[in-house]
Amino acid sequence: MPKILISDPTLRDGNHAVKHQLTAKQIAAYASAAEAAHIPIIEVGHGNGLGASSLQVGESLHDDATLLEAARKHLVKTKLGVHVMPGFATISKDIKLAMDIGVDVFRVGSHCTEADITQRHIGFIRNKGKEVYGALMMSHMASKEVLAEEAYKMQSYGADGVMLYDSAGALLPDDVEEKVRELVARLNIEVGFHAHNNLGMGIANSIAAVKAGATILDGTACGFGAGAGNTQLEVLVAVLEKMGYSTGIDFYKLLDACDLADREILSVIPRISSISIVSALAGVFSGFSKHVERISKEYDVDPREVFFELGLRKVVAGQEDLILEVAAALAGKEKRCA
Amino acid sequence: MSMMNFVREDLRTAVAGGATAVDVLRESCILVTGGTGFVGKWLAELVAFLNDEHGFNIRLLLLSRNPHTLDIHAPHLLCRKDISLVAKDVRSVMDIPEDVEWIIHAAGTPDNRIHASDPLRVMQVIAHGTGAVLEAASRLPRLQRVLNISSGLVYGPQPLSVSNVAETVFSGINCASVQTIYAEANRFGESICAAYRNLQRLPIVTARPFAFIGPYQHLDRPWAINNFIRDSLMGGPIRILGDGGKVRSYMYAADMAWWMLSILARGRSGTIYNVGSPSGITLKTLAEKILRITGDSQPIQVNLSHDFSAKRSIFVPDVSLAEKAFGLGLTMDIDTAIRRTIHWHREFTTLK
Repeated sequence: MPKILISDPTLRDGNHAVKHQLTAKQIAAYASAAEAAHIPIIEVGHGNGLGASSLQVGESLHDDATLLEAARKHLVKTKLGVHVMPGFATISKDIKLAMDIGVDVFRVGSHCTEADITQRHIGFIRNKGKEVYGALMMSHMASKEVLAEEAYKMQSYGADGVMLYDSAGALLPDDVEEKVRELVARLNIEVGFHAHNNLGMGIANSIAAVKAGATILDGTACGFGAGAGNTQLEVLVAVLEKMGYSTGIDFYKLLDACDLADREILSVIPRISSISIVSALAGVFSGFSKHVERISKEYDVDPREVFFELGLRKVVAGQEDLILEVAAALAGKEKRCA
Repeated sequence: MSMMNFVREDLRTAVAGGATAVDVLRESCILVTGGTGFVGKWLAELVAFLNDEHGFNIRLLLLSRNPHTLDIHAPHLLCRKDISLVAKDVRSVMDIPEDVEWIIHAAGTPDNRIHASDPLRVMQVIAHGTGAVLEAASRLPRLQRVLNISSGLVYGPQPLSVSNVAETVFSGINCASVQTIYAEANRFGESICAAYRNLQRLPIVTARPFAFIGPYQHLDRPWAINNFIRDSLMGGPIRILGDGGKVRSYMYAADMAWWMLSILARGRSGTIYNVGSPSGITLKTLAEKILRITGDSQPIQVNLSHDFSAKRSIFVPDVSLAEKAFGLGLTMDIDTAIRRTIHWHREFTTLK
């Protein structure tokens, strides 16, 4: 039976949905449930990963060490993972700390055309003997050929695998299949896929990825994640099992973990709002949604217009400050035309 | 034991009393480009050995963009009067000291992380660097020979049906891919050599190196054997990317240095020689050997999620041309090479 490695970023991507306010108690509770369900990897931390807590992208309720230690205490077989974005996370300040706490798996991400910036981080982690994966974010913004070249860089730096992130939830199954197939053909390492559900394609895109040769999938409890949320983990596992794939997850215990998340973590239920649909069509990172809604309200402009303008400017994660500029420009334009 | 004495032991084995074979190098001056890289350091060790133990009295110039690396990794070489550093980018070489009679052009990095991230620089160093060195060499009054160190990758993917690739077997390279930048650049470098031989009658011989292992090769380099040794020395499991079915071969560094110097001294201009080990080994078997030697008890992690049979590859040279022409051979088999390399890293480097 073909095996799919499931990685669960409920406690990382889900942090976007609650403005990075997950508590140590919530993390401990979910980590414990994930361990019982034999989920292979859970990712923990600020939505944008290690060292990202800031005024620009949102401050965490707890620092990284508190979040990671809260999870670590409850994990034995389930591996503890973190997301790393060079620029936010530094090797000496953040990655070494995470290693000291006992993080097992690192995902080092960059915008999908900028894999070069991951070299030192991937190299350092690999040289320490830890599992490290590259993450090409906003993968709808590059062709399959460019993605394959960027993924090849990550392979050469020492990554154990490369994940394609549909950070804006903008891809359709045919796009996913084409891009994943190219990577699988060109690389000697694992290929995985991380979906967002803005266009209701989370499960379909994940399955398309598997059919194209991906062996790692991300999914979150109840779809808890940025924007319209991620692939709903409990549904994903059910579908994979039905299709004959093995995940090693105890399905009933997984449902228990998801029920626990529903009860104790999800103050905001992910749903496909009109803003989520617009952000996907505009091709803008799902994590922008809350900022766009808030700033659009402040400037009294249509958030949909803000999204499309951001899309035209091809903004990427980390450029959240451009939302203000775009909203102010639109507000000025409306004033002039009034 | 000091680093120098460790390396000397290896060189005594590699040269095996045959130092007179390179007698033409006595009392001469040799320039090595890429002088502080893996090949450059070993050539410096070999020249120091020939001078100290066989009275060759060679003067060696090591040209390097980053000469300080010698201070970090082989400080004993810096203290020698017979070895001098020339701090220069090979692309901007205009003049070579008039007393240089022999040149080993070893500039260019085989590190595929740099090939992927900085392909233009990789191409420029090889293409412009080779052109600059040969142009300057053409003005030398007593030039005896240039050894251009190319790459075994110029052949393109080795057919699985060919166990050892000879100097004449080419399968073609996809020149539209950045993954082949290094191979393409070296092909172009060889063509420049051919042009200078034709136009200027420069005496140029070419070596096509395959894979090596030994002291001075950093374990963070992105090659299977380095990573396996590093993983095992750190007490972790050896992780094989793929099913372990790829076939590679490894020549020990001291043999490599002796072969290179022998080809410089005795090679025929216009001739190309493979340099490497002709004994292929699968990566899985290699990992098992490393485990046995380090005593690491962790299991080997092989990736069985895919059928990797379509991605099998082989990279093993036929070295009979150099063996027959110069009576060369490998003095260290793969087990000894691994054992010596691990010994070196335990003794002289830190993995922390």
